[in-house]
Amino acid sequence: MTARSNSEKAMLDQAVAWAAALESDDVDWDGYMAWLEADPRHRAAFDSIALVSAAVDDHRAEITSLIAAQAPSKARRRVLRLFTYAGGSIAAAIALMVGVPLLWSPQPVRSYAADAHGSRDIALANGIHVTLSPSSSITVRGKDAGQVELASGEAYFDVRHDPARSLTVTAGSYRISDIGTRFSVNFTRTAFRIGVADGTVSVSSPGSEDVQVSAGHQLLSGSDGLTLSSVASSDVGSWRQGRLSYSNTPLPLVAADISRYSGKAVQIDPSLEKTHFSGTLVIGDGSRLLADLAILMGVEVHSQENGARIGTAAPR
Amino acid sequence: MNLDGEDRLEIAYGVHRADLMRLLMARTGDRTEAEDLLQELWLKVQQQPGGPVENGRAYLFRMAQNLVIDRLRERRRRMERERRWSDEVTDFARAGIEPADRRKTAEDLILDREEIATLTSAITNLPEGARRVFELHKLQGLSHGEVAAHLGISKSGVEKHMAVAMKYLRRALMD
Repeated sequence: MTARSNSEKAMLDQAVAWAAALESDDVDWDGYMAWLEADPRHRAAFDSIALVSAAVDDHRAEITSLIAAQAPSKARRRVLRLFTYAGGSIAAAIALMVGVPLLWSPQPVRSYAADAHGSRDIALANGIHVTLSPSSSITVRGKDAGQVELASGEAYFDVRHDPARSLTVTAGSYRISDIGTRFSVNFTRTAFRIGVADGTVSVSSPGSEDVQVSAGHQLLSGSDGLTLSSVASSDVGSWRQGRLSYSNTPLPLVAADISRYSGKAVQIDPSLEKTHFSGTLVIGDGSRLLADLAILMGVEVHSQENGARIGTAAPR
Repeated sequence: MNLDGEDRLEIAYGVHRADLMRLLMARTGDRTEAEDLLQELWLKVQQQPGGPVENGRAYLFRMAQNLVIDRLRERRRRMERERRWSDEVTDFARAGIEPADRRKTAEDLILDREEIATLTSAITNLPEGARRVFELHKLQGLSHGEVAAHLGISKSGVEKHMAVAMKYLRRALMD
């Protein structure tokens, strides 16, 4: 650790101590001002701590109830899973959780799936890490996990760079290769998206030349072919931090994501199928995603059997 | 009549004006902004309804401190909005004809919920001790002394846990 970052750490500790001291009834305001005046960086350190305090104070009620809601649901989920094991679908459960090598296949094949309740981290051979988002599944082939197929949903890949490795990730007819990087792939019946956070990948698909996608870019399929555009690297795979971030993304892909997270089928009016969406949705428990999207896009949600349909707002 | 109390706070303001300016300078590092905040503080003092104030100086210092933090938060929120939405306005259907206020509200709602999600997940990821101290102090409003008594640890132990928690949440919010 450098001397500089050491002193920054010390300043931050002092800022935390002052923030705590200011809560008491008898504050040494002169000491506080003297500390601030001693170094302009003290002010910045204090600001950053004060902002945390203010944010927590502003949302105290919501945070408290969210934390309270989280604790029991985890326990319930565990019980449900156990119940599934005991309830007869043992083979299926084991295939999902552990993966069963298929004996007649020349290469080992394993499937991994994340259920609707949460994402799942998987460490494959050779320094390949995959995070599956809810209701997503992959199939892995080869001794060194050389071929990964995304069946549906979204998966985030963190692959240690190794020039000797040949890894391909496929999703439908899309094929991603030359990988040594971090990226997120999303695939539904009608749409495909890859966003690259770090490094470069090559994407091939029928009827199109190979496309190089580098960090800070995304490749989207839509009704009018493939589009390469820029995306904030921090937004790639942001679902792992509880956000769905979109940059000019076809609405069908957004709707498919919301279906997976909310567990309800989301359909789109044909008139909106070619619409694109940019913005960020907070995942939470998934139940408010659709309403938030509707507010941001100025569209209406109609509930229907087994789910909901997004349509244009009626003229007023 | 509470004229009496108002008078006293106004008098305290007069007495401690230079001191308050020093605090605001130290807090903002910018003379124009400090003067602006001092003026805002004066307006607040005049609107203050309450009765007599026990320690006028401390009271005014706290008011000044809160004004600075409100402004910081506003500025941060504005930057966040601009970063996220400025060049994407065209993607909001009919954004052009929607009243600006309504759109801002929807954006703020999203930013709020995002902030809540970030903080909640950061809190649940805190080390056990820091998490319990943080929840008792910041969410349930117990003082450091009360938290120490409740958990059977020392006050400096509480301070250490709080420091861990605040720095962790700071990192999460800045991400």
